[in-house]
Order: sequence, then C-alpha cells, then structure tokens
Amino acid sequence: MNSVSNPAGAFFERSLGQMGALRGSIERFQTEIATGERIQRGSDDPIGAARLRALTRLERRGDTEEENAARLGQDLSEAANQIEGIVSILQRARELSVSAANDPVGENGRAAIAEELEQMAEEMFARSNTQSITGAPLFAGTAGSPAFVRDAAGVVTYNGNNQNGSVPVAPGTEVERGVTGEQLFEFDLDGTPSSNFAVLTGLAAALRGGAADPSVAAQDALAGIDAALDNANRSQTVIGTRLAWVEAIQQDQQTRAIDVAEQRSDIGDTDISDTIVRLQQTLTALEASQASFTRVSSLTLFNAL
Amino acid sequence: MPTSLITIGRSGAAAARASLELTAQNIANASNPDYVRRTTSQSEFVASATIDYQVSSSLSGTRIGDVQRANSELIQRQARDSGSDLSRAEAELSGLRDAETALENSRLFEGLVDFEAALTLLESDPTDPALRRGALETARQLTSTFQFADTALSNARSLVEDDVSIGIESVNGTAEELARINLALVNARDGTAGQASLLDARDASLRDLANEFGITVEFDDFGAAEVRLSSSSGTGALLVSGTTANAIGASVAADGTTSFDIGGVPFSPTSGAMAGRAAALTDMALRQTELNDAAAATITRANAAQAAGVGLDGSPGQPLFSGTNASTIALALTDGDGLALAPAGSPAGSRDTANLGNLIAAFGADDGPIASTDRSLLSLSSRIAGLETTREGLEIINSSAQAELLSETGVDLDVEAANLIRLQQAFEANSRIIQVANDLFDTILGLR
Repeated sequence: MNSVSNPAGAFFERSLGQMGALRGSIERFQTEIATGERIQRGSDDPIGAARLRALTRLERRGDTEEENAARLGQDLSEAANQIEGIVSILQRARELSVSAANDPVGENGRAAIAEELEQMAEEMFARSNTQSITGAPLFAGTAGSPAFVRDAAGVVTYNGNNQNGSVPVAPGTEVERGVTGEQLFEFDLDGTPSSNFAVLTGLAAALRGGAADPSVAAQDALAGIDAALDNANRSQTVIGTRLAWVEAIQQDQQTRAIDVAEQRSDIGDTDISDTIVRLQQTLTALEASQASFTRVSSLTLFNAL
Repeated sequence: MPTSLITIGRSGAAAARASLELTAQNIANASNPDYVRRTTSQSEFVASATIDYQVSSSLSGTRIGDVQRANSELIQRQARDSGSDLSRAEAELSGLRDAETALENSRLFEGLVDFEAALTLLESDPTDPALRRGALETARQLTSTFQFADTALSNARSLVEDDVSIGIESVNGTAEELARINLALVNARDGTAGQASLLDARDASLRDLANEFGITVEFDDFGAAEVRLSSSSGTGALLVSGTTANAIGASVAADGTTSFDIGGVPFSPTSGAMAGRAAALTDMALRQTELNDAAAATITRANAAQAAGVGLDGSPGQPLFSGTNASTIALALTDGDGLALAPAGSPAGSRDTANLGNLIAAFGADDGPIASTDRSLLSLSSRIAGLETTREGLEIINSSAQAELLSETGVDLDVEAANLIRLQQAFEANSRIIQVANDLFDTILGLR
C-alpha cells in the first residue's frame, strides 16, 4: 500500500517537540527575569560574557583604587595637620627669637625662652615621627620607622630616604604619598646643611649661655627659622595640591564606577520590559498550541465508530 | 453449488478477520517507535479440475496473502545518518557544557581578579599587617579555587569517560543482538509475522548502533544486516557480518583523550555520540592544560617576584606558592610579613612597593594568568555557542528525517479506523453469503 499518511506517532512527536521548545524558552525568560541576568552562562553570549569579565576586573580595580585613594587622602590630611603644627611651632619660635634678640629679657628671661625652645624642639621631634593610622611613619619616605633618630648628644638625624613612593589611584595615574622628612625638616643654610631641630636646639643652647652674645645669636637664628618656615610652607602647598588632586581623582573614580556599572547593565542585565513582553508572547503561543493540540488530537475517526 | 458458496463465504470471512487482526495489531502498536506498519494482501482463489477432458473452474473465494511490512530501507538509512550526526553534536555539547559549568562555577576568573585587587590594595600601605594578611588569605582562596576548578573539570571529564565505557558496552551488546537477529532472519519464513517482527528488531538495533557510532549497512536476500563503521576514507571496519559481531574497545590516555579500536585495530569514529564524546574529551584535555598553565603561571610569576624582593623584615622573599599545576598549587608562605613587596636590598619595614608593582604587572599582563583564563573561557563558550547552532540545524534535519520515516512506517489511526469499518463490513457481508448458501440449501432440501 502506497499512500500519503499522517501517522499518529508523528503528530504526537511533533506537538511534543513544539510545546517542549516553547516551555524551554518560557523557563529561560523566567530565569532571566528572576535573576536579572541576561547571560546565565558564557555560551549564551560568548563575547558579552568576555566583556562582562573585563568589566568585572575594571570594577574590582576601580574599587581597589577608590580604597587606595581614600587611604592616601587620610595620610595626606594627617601630614597636612602635622605640617600645620610645625608651622605654628616655627612661628612661635620666630617670635621668641625676635624677643630674645631685641628685648632686654635678662638671663632669666633667656633661660625661659631656651626652656620653651627646647620644648618646641621636643614637639617638633615628636611630630617628625608621626605615624599614619596603620603605624607607618609619615615622613620617612619609603623607609621604615622611625623617621628621625636622636643620639645621646641630642643630635637629630634623618633615618628615612628621599623616595616618596606613590600609590596607583587610577589607570596610569600614581600619586606620590607625601613629603619626605628630608624635604620637610632639612635645608641648606648659607651652604651648610641644617635642620629644624638644629636651629631650635642651637638657639636654645646659645640662649643658655653657649654664645658670647645671646642677642646676636638669636638674631642669627632668625635666618634659620625663616628657612625652616619656607620649607614647611612649601611642603604644605605640595601636600595641599596633592590632596586636591586626590579629591579630583575620587570624583573621577565615582564617575567611572557609574560608567562601568552602566556598561555592565547594558551587556549583562535583563531588559525587563522586553523580556516580559516576549514571555507573554511565548505563553500565549504555548496556551494556543496546547488548546489546538487537544482539539486536533480529539479529531479521530474512532469517535465516529 | 451451495457448498462452494459456503467455502467462498468462509474464506472471505477468514480473510476479513485476518485483516482485522492486523488492523488491531497496528492500532495496538501505534505508539511503538520500533513498529513498522503491517499490511496483508489477498488473492483470488480459483480451484480448477479436469473432468472428462473438460477443463472446469470452480470459484473458491480468496486466499490470505503474506504479512507485509512497509519497506523503508532508504528512509531508515537517512534517519539513521541524521541521528548519528545529531547524537555527535549533542554528546559533544553536553560534555563541553559540563566543562563550562565546572570552569565558570569555580569562579576562577573572579578569584584571580580578587588576588590582583588584594595586591593593588597593598600599594596604598605596604606595611599594614591587615592588608598583608588579607592579600595572603586571598592567595590561599585562589589556591583552593584552582583546586576546585581542577576537581570540577576532572569530574566533568570522568562523566564523559563513564558515558564512553557504558556506551561501548551497549554497542557491543547491540552488535551481538544484531548477529543473533541475522541468524534468526535466515531461518524465518518469508511473509510471516515472525519475520516482520525480527525486521523491526533489526531496524531498532541498527538505530541504536547508529546513535553511538556512524554506520553503513547492507542487507542480504534474507534481510540480514552487514554493518560497517563509517570511515572518512575507504570502507570502514566490519562491526557485524552474518552471525559474528566484532567487539569495540575504548581506552582513555593519560591526558584524558580517548581512542577506539575494533578487534584491536584502531579507528576514529566520524559521527555518532562516541565521536562527540571523543571530541569533548579532547577539548576538555585542552582546557585542563590551559587551567594547569594558568596555575603554573600564577605560581612561577608570584614566586619569581618574591625571589626578587624582600619581606617586611628585610629578609629575601620566600616562594608564595608551592606546586606545579592546578591540582597541586598550595600556599607556601605562612605569614603576611613574608610578602616581598620591596625590591631586594631594601631595609626592614620599607614602604617601597617597586617589587609589588612588578608582581601586579606580571600577574595582570596580557600573557598572565588572568588574561589566559579569560581567553580559555571565551574560546570554550564560543565553541559551545557554535556547536549549539550546528545542533539546531542537525535537529531540524533529523526531525524531518524522522517525520518522513514515521509517515512511511508509522500507524495512521484514521486509516486504521477506516479499515476497521471496511473490514467489519466485509466480514458481515461474507457471513451473509454463508447465510444465503444455507437458505439456498434449505430451499433445495424443502422441495417435495
């Protein structure tokens, strides 16, 4: 017998396959809506998944750089505070040495001034060895603590190095950590190296009788104090500029983070409204094919027997 | 001739009843995928005799013919071949999907990025013990991620390997079964229901074989099948010939790739699920190599950087990782202070991060582990996406071949229902003839 036939098996097989496919896409749409992710696995969209990975890395790096910038900002603010303190010490020292040079303060007066200067040198030393919140020296360059050491004779020497070190805060951008103790506390005075400590302790020693004429010694010390003030002011400007830079970078980082998040969302997020419409469309198709399946499958001659 | 009428009626009723039985058989097997629709034929039966040199014929009704089975060798072959191709794509796809799940779910890429981030964070404050500890723990996490990815990948591979060995067993069983069917076919009488059901079993066995290995089949006069494995060049190896079946063997090499032999002679399958599994295993072996390479790159780059720097206490850096590949990678450094962030020669407590910078650059470089893991994932998922497209195409070809096969061999219930009515009427009409013969007989006997 050679005839065109439409076997029952083929019909059921076909209907099953078609409804299975519809069910499959409905489940997919549902997962997309429930997870909010368009790409469930890499093979759904290989290029999209690779871009998502690149964005994940960028995002992670962005987070790290934000944290780095925040830490750097803290260190720089702390350094700025310390330098402000140093500037006020130096200003007070300048007042004292002016009065020691001009006013007839007498031996007791000079001793009092020397006392105060020694206290100031002590405070200066303490400030020079300030540590960040995590315990690293602020003014030692990249060297370990302490930044300054004092020997038995009371001579303070720089223990750090002249490398500032830098922190990466944005792709291709590194900001130097701060100023080194060398830049902040040491300077050349008429060709000879001197430091804030040497100026203060030297003046104190002179006022205590180390110099033949204390007034002249105080007058002479003014040049050193002015140089130290210049130094501190310069450092303050440097730190201030860097702080401003870090703030600018932090704003930039936030913009970039939003940018990356937007790209991520563009590539990897489910377009909810689009997906819901498609889901509805597929649901309608499934319901229709289920209805037509039962109608067609009940169309059999056996009902007529 | 009332006796002749009764004979004719009886033969007609018997033929109708035989056809009804066949119809019932067809309906009962309507959902049996192995069943091929049966039909029967009838032929006129005329008895002839010679009396007094005079040839005389007497009508004797109908003869019930053979049980015929719709012949569909060509379409069966088409369905088998498209089934082989589809099985290959599906087996390869399922293996590779497992590998993809293993590598993606282990979150290896994220682990590597986390380690890079932990190192970058150290740049802000290289002497902070918390940050050092954090970086070390991230490194520890990375080692277990590598091991997890390795285990998951080898699990996926052993699943496919199990499929191979189970499949080989079932193929060998089916081949032996086919050899037995061949023997039975030679002994079966032509045109019997027994022969038809043997042919059904033969075609089902061939379909099962074709799902595992691509095959070419030739039939002899009895319908016995000679099966060869498809080969890309020349005639393939003989799998079943007459009543003998050659056993297929599979072996898995140390690198995880698999190879097949038949009767000790190696062959490579061209289609069927086994070809797909072999391809999947080859690809998985490649992913394993890539995973091991990424682990080795992580180990060597981190350890090289450690060797070039000094720890927090100024002592030379010690190796960060031990091991050589993804399964043996382990954290060797126990103390965060041992991370050599400063270049060699730096004093203790140095905040110099030059060496750390080198490590981050080496780790994140385009030939570093992060980039190579990304590439490996991209190539795997691209391959899967490509295979998916191939599979969809093959599925359409296969389903149209199956539909064609079903329309040739399947049972159409509407046709059978119509047959049922027709044959019922035929049966009733024939019994009516017997009734008429009876009436005639009675009429003649009643004459007086």
